[in-house]
Amino acid sequence: MMGHSFELSIGLASHAAWRVTVLGPLAWLGLLLSALAVHAQPSRPTLPLEDRTNGHHTLAVLNEFFPAALACVVHIEDSQGKTVCAATIVDGDGYVLMKASELPELKHMHVKLVNGRAAGLREIRRDSRMDLLLAQAIGVTGLKAANFGGTRSLAHGQWLCSGSGKNRALRIGIVSANRRRVPGLGAALGVRMDEKQSKNGKGVRIVSIATDSPAEAAGLMAEDVIVAIGDERVEQFKRVHEIVSKRQPGEVVEVRYLREGKTLASRVRLASRTKVLQNWEGEDFANGGISLRTDNFPDVLQHDLPLVPADMGGPLFMLDGSVVGINIARVDRVTTFALPTEAFWAEVRQWIDFDRQPPKAQSVNVD
Amino acid sequence: MAMVGIAVNAEVPKTDLNTLLQVQSQVQKLFPQAKAALVAIQTGGGTASGVIISPSGLLLTAAHVVDKPGREIRVVLQDGTVTMAKSLGVDQATDAALAQLKDLAKPWPSVNLSRDLGKAQPGEWCFALGHPGGFDKARGPVLRVGKIVKQTANNLHSDCVLMGGDSGGPLFNMDGEVIGIHSQIWEERDQNVHVSMAPFLRSWDAMQASQVIRVWGIGAGGYLGVATRMTDQVELEVADVIEGSPALRAGVLAGDVILELNGDAMTDQHQFTAAVKAKAAGDVVNLKLRRAGKERQVVVTLTQKPKEESTE
Repeated sequence: MMGHSFELSIGLASHAAWRVTVLGPLAWLGLLLSALAVHAQPSRPTLPLEDRTNGHHTLAVLNEFFPAALACVVHIEDSQGKTVCAATIVDGDGYVLMKASELPELKHMHVKLVNGRAAGLREIRRDSRMDLLLAQAIGVTGLKAANFGGTRSLAHGQWLCSGSGKNRALRIGIVSANRRRVPGLGAALGVRMDEKQSKNGKGVRIVSIATDSPAEAAGLMAEDVIVAIGDERVEQFKRVHEIVSKRQPGEVVEVRYLREGKTLASRVRLASRTKVLQNWEGEDFANGGISLRTDNFPDVLQHDLPLVPADMGGPLFMLDGSVVGINIARVDRVTTFALPTEAFWAEVRQWIDFDRQPPKAQSVNVD
Repeated sequence: MAMVGIAVNAEVPKTDLNTLLQVQSQVQKLFPQAKAALVAIQTGGGTASGVIISPSGLLLTAAHVVDKPGREIRVVLQDGTVTMAKSLGVDQATDAALAQLKDLAKPWPSVNLSRDLGKAQPGEWCFALGHPGGFDKARGPVLRVGKIVKQTANNLHSDCVLMGGDSGGPLFNMDGEVIGIHSQIWEERDQNVHVSMAPFLRSWDAMQASQVIRVWGIGAGGYLGVATRMTDQVELEVADVIEGSPALRAGVLAGDVILELNGDAMTDQHQFTAAVKAKAAGDVVNLKLRRAGKERQVVVTLTQKPKEESTE
């Protein structure tokens, strides 16, 4: 590894170590053994899918009354009608909340309402601290809004549920860990770079690309030579660190690079640095992927609902239909974060009030 | 609002709301004690989980976590306290392993293990604890609730989703007893594999007392009763001498460097283990040891395996 630089070296030794020693057997041995087990034990009784924790027999009782509560879940679609992510209706006059880093811009997006109608969106407030985006569905009133309730009584083991996917299929899970602040380390591309300058003195050579990383998604490859990020030419790996680490997960940067003598450019959507480093070889595979931004939240509830990144922005319910938060990050196979009501609701209410009645310019008395 | 179009077959017993709420309150009742018995295990290069199953500090974990008998492992309790344990028996075939916390003075917080294997049937509710991704004090242990999906000869499968770092952690039944130890994951979300109590109980019943389980893995042949490790100077050193063993009676001490056995130079652990195993109970071996720069010879009469010794 000498002479190669990850985007960050803090704590890397320990991450690299547990990847190999403990994650290795758990994931790889498992994949290896699955075929064997099928042949060896054909007749063991296996719980049918519909009777499992998230099977429809288990959930039938909830599905009897949940459709009403799920009416506050809507989806954002792009201009081709493709579902981008979920959103929560927070006020009958069309105000919706979303996960900001999933929607760098709202220009060509529309919201698909429960009755099948679509409406354009007006961006009102983007808050990077909580990763929330407030918008209003244009010309829509009379929507059913989420009924936010307090979360102070929630303890480990409390059942929670959410809708998943376009058809809002109900999913249940529990409060699974302590409520807390989740620190962050900024953004990353997911590239390991050569510490030496490239031969012709121009650019920074990519040594390897992290699995499921922003760089991989944007089509960057090992041996590409990065020559510029945004408007700035780069010649040293340290400078790439500096530029990227000042950005936020979810932001888009343009990377220009040399490949086989040609200069190419890719738009890369950055992800949380912590996650890219811990998941370098895809160890934390999450059956459906993880969110770009998974950290740097002031306050989260952690739960084990089987959701996917596009479900983020949707509401998190108690079994009685009250909403305790907004799902904000799919982190790994066992972890989803939600912002609890108290973390955002008072502030969001103010944004809505200001939007309805912008504070008038105050007359100033000069004595 | 129209009903969602899910066909509910009247023949199939549905889970009613009451059942879900009972599962919730039972898990919440059992969680404090289960959490106290959960530990994080930090071996040389990895972090994993384990569970204390006796007040004397016996620990269940997975074989791929501790790797081999006699290993020193760092154990982190849920409040962040760090203590030490030593791995005992390891069953590579089933991934079952035992360890012993070294501090014997205190009664450790513990949970019971289930001895009724038949109870863990597909469809039963269960809950999992562990430290996925490693110990994180702010986050605390991570709880998952689910159902048993399948039971095989040595394993349980559940839909309690696991990931790296959970290895060795406990799966509980609704009585708060340990029914599984997290072992593997397959590709699908519902494919989480735990070692059942079967491999543990099989060996347990054969040996009965915990002193006996301490020396699992020493195997057939003569019994000496030392655990070894390789020092930084690549010398073979006595890491620990087992209580009541012939080595202890002959004056072998932890920290002694083993130079020779019956005149043969000893340079690594496998060679030493094989040399001891090759002797029978009653055989006399000459050990050449070094301590604080001084060499000495110790004569040890090997005994039977500790199964018999524990009944002395």
